[in-house]
Amino acid sequence: MAVAATISQRKRIKRKAPRGFLKRVFKRQKPHLRLEASCDLLVHLNCLLFIRRLAEEARTDACKNKCGVIKDQHVLAAAKVMLKKSRG
Amino acid sequence: MADSDISDNEPTTRTLLRRVLDTEAPRTPRRRQSTRAGVQRTPLGTPFSMRLRSQTKTTAGRQPHRARSIGRLAHTQTRGQLKEQTPRTLLENILLTAPESSMVMPESVVKPVPAPQGVQFSRRESSPGSLELQLPELNAPATLAPGRLTSGRRKKRLRLSEFQQGMDQGLPLSQEPPGNTGASSLSSSLNLTFATPLLPQSVQRPGLARRPLTRRAVDVGIFLQDLQDTSVATALPGDRTPVATLPTDTVLEDTQPFSQPLIGCSPSVHHSIPSPSLSAERTVSRRTWSSGPGLQNNSPRKPAQLLAGKAEEVDALAMGFPNTSSSTSGEDGLEPLLGGVGEEVEERMEESMSLSEVKEAAGAQASARAEEPEAHTEVAEAEGSWGATEEKEPEGSSGDKDTEGRTARPELASSTPEFPQARQLEFLEPAPPTSTAVLSSEPLEPLSARLPTRVQTAGPRLRQDPYKMGLSHYAKLFSFYAKMPMEKKALEMVEKCLDKYFQRLCDDLDVFAAHAGRKTVRLEDLELLMRRQGLVTDRVSLHVLVEQHLPLEYRQLLIPCAFSGNTVFPAQ
Repeated sequence: MAVAATISQRKRIKRKAPRGFLKRVFKRQKPHLRLEASCDLLVHLNCLLFIRRLAEEARTDACKNKCGVIKDQHVLAAAKVMLKKSRG
Repeated sequence: MADSDISDNEPTTRTLLRRVLDTEAPRTPRRRQSTRAGVQRTPLGTPFSMRLRSQTKTTAGRQPHRARSIGRLAHTQTRGQLKEQTPRTLLENILLTAPESSMVMPESVVKPVPAPQGVQFSRRESSPGSLELQLPELNAPATLAPGRLTSGRRKKRLRLSEFQQGMDQGLPLSQEPPGNTGASSLSSSLNLTFATPLLPQSVQRPGLARRPLTRRAVDVGIFLQDLQDTSVATALPGDRTPVATLPTDTVLEDTQPFSQPLIGCSPSVHHSIPSPSLSAERTVSRRTWSSGPGLQNNSPRKPAQLLAGKAEEVDALAMGFPNTSSSTSGEDGLEPLLGGVGEEVEERMEESMSLSEVKEAAGAQASARAEEPEAHTEVAEAEGSWGATEEKEPEGSSGDKDTEGRTARPELASSTPEFPQARQLEFLEPAPPTSTAVLSSEPLEPLSARLPTRVQTAGPRLRQDPYKMGLSHYAKLFSFYAKMPMEKKALEMVEKCLDKYFQRLCDDLDVFAAHAGRKTVRLEDLELLMRRQGLVTDRVSLHVLVEQHLPLEYRQLLIPCAFSGNTVFPAQ
């Protein structure tokens, strides 16, 4: 009740989560599974945190090489590390 | 009022009010309070009054009220000697003396800068107010004040139109005022100068719309000439433009993000190929074949070039693949590419002819640049001509996709009516001169022999574009978090990583849900995943992360909160 009232006031959310996109991706990957109601928001959170860490890592890589620009090899190296970390 | 000696003959509202303020300040303590309020109001009032003045004369009536209110505040006690200099009276005087068509000609000069406005103001007041007469006077001082000129430029258009309309009135009138003859000639010359720059602008704009059409007509001829002229690896950039401007080709070409010629493989590269992975070459050759048949359609004399081009493509791609981070990723990249290509081929059947033309140009342009992006662009072009722009990115493909791709390929190669080049395929098979092509020919034969009759799902393009859009959405976030400039290649790499990450995520969630004996992924699965990733610890709980990173609306959906009426949302 109160939730509905508050949500309707603000119609524009900053940094919207692409819920449809996430749901579609999950469905394509695992058609036999179902996602619960608000799970895609947590998936989005997960992605945000992953990207954040990846960006930090890439940035440190680039700074290590004294590069002012992030290049794809930096990203690659960072991704290797991050994917290992977020193996779960 | 010692400070009332302002040199202006016609005091501006601002100066008037300021004068009032100055006079009012040293009065009495009570006065001071009111003047403080008055001070606060008068600065507001000044621009306000200026604005009001500039807008319409009718609203000017408000100013006396405003001034009056200020005056009321400022002068609770009447000063007989100030009567003639009260803001209200001063403003009224100004209003009376100012010309009717005030500086405002226009809506164009809405908010003139107060200083030049004040200058104009004074000038206007000096002149008798009539539109036509104003013209020469506007023109005359145009040379004098630079600020004037800028405002004059703003009014240029209107003045021109007015000038053109009232030309008869304007010019003779301009000559009338004494001492303005020189100015009038100047003004006429000025007007003339004004005229010249404006007219071409107005003419140019419609012309802009016409330009692309003319360009296209010419370029077809150029394109055809280039087709005849081009041999294996020359004048590559030149080919691009005619290709790009062909109507069908524009459609196809525009879809490609990297519209670079297939400068891909140099002969040197071709020689130095270590032939890293047979599968890579196989898949590559498969891809080139599917594009090749399209090429074959057009000109039989092309086959040599095409073959050379294809071989070089193969080589380039083969070269490209060692450059990729891992062979597995290369494989992954290949097979979904295949699948993607197969699907797109189904769609782009009707454009095969144009495709073949494109491919001709593309094949003809094969030369040496075996960088990975080029290789990918080549591949992209091969499929890109079929509208695929995201070839580089390995799609979120699973095993079924790969099989689909493989089956699609031979089916596509042989069964589709638009590609009667099934024979040409075989023709191609023995033909390829390079060893790599020979290697590739072997798997092709069994593939073509299979002829599975699976129909590809329609709408692969739809699937790719939103997928890529979703990934690019996250890639933008990446560039935001990185706080450093990034290359475009890096962004594409990020998208690839994201894709892999999504695959892993889904797999993990699957495992967790299966472990709990469920077929639905729940929040606790997600929490477990984040715990295992090290994001959620004993110190940092999931709720904390939600609060930190998600907007309020999502947080309300995720974190149970008590509401009035003894309810909790979301329900636990």
